[in-house]
Amino acid sequence: MAITVQIPGPLRPLTGGAAEVEVEEAADVGSLIEALEARHHGIRERLLDASGELRGYVRVFVNDQDVRALRGKATELAPGVTVAIVPAIAGGSQRSRCPALSGVWIADSDGGPAS
Amino acid sequence: MRIEERHLEAILARARAGHPLEVCGVLLGRTDARGMVVEEAAAVENRERIAPRVRYEIAPEDLLRLQRQARAAGRDIAGFYHSHPDHPARPSETDRRMAAEGLSDGVVHLVVGVDAGGNAVPSAWVFRDARQAFEQEPLEVVRPEAG
Repeated sequence: MAITVQIPGPLRPLTGGAAEVEVEEAADVGSLIEALEARHHGIRERLLDASGELRGYVRVFVNDQDVRALRGKATELAPGVTVAIVPAIAGGSQRSRCPALSGVWIADSDGGPAS
Repeated sequence: MRIEERHLEAILARARAGHPLEVCGVLLGRTDARGMVVEEAAAVENRERIAPRVRYEIAPEDLLRLQRQARAAGRDIAGFYHSHPDHPARPSETDRRMAAEGLSDGVVHLVVGVDAGGNAVPSAWVFRDARQAFEQEPLEVVRPEAG
């Protein structure tokens, strides 16, 4: 039974506009991303950083569970599961905390009221 | 982007009520030949805990829930809104950097500048990966008799 993958809007140019794609088989999230890359070139680099880990702004849910709370890319996938790729959204008028550097604050480069 | 007046008014009212904290939400709608149409503005909690006056964060769990809700109604997540209390209605460098790091190409952001006096000004922007920047988008307010 195929795995259904829900694709967020910004990635749909890579899937020919499809909001959902199916992957016949993938043992875990990492394998799923490779299977997607084989069919939709460019998707891997949107999902993974240079070290091969999920980007800070990409959340992957397997049957509504965030894989970060499971085993990350090693999270196993049962046949027939639904996987949702969801972008994290954040911003604001002045200073930011970079999720990739938990707890680290970065001042806006243009100083002052930055919005 | 086009948005019904009542949805825009609800966003502006929420930005006023939320001042001096940033408020945020998700724009649900569809895309037709003329571009994006907002059919619902879903308010979500600002999950930023440390500096909610100058920062907002939409939880992925909220997005997952709204994405499912939208699909069931034949809609999609078209974009996002957030307020800038006591700051202008345009994306900040923080907004730009966050969008550049995320999955944001083609995503609409409605930014509302709001002050303590209740003045609330909206503007619409689309992030373009190719430029790593926001481009201003015409904001067309649709009134029921016209839409």
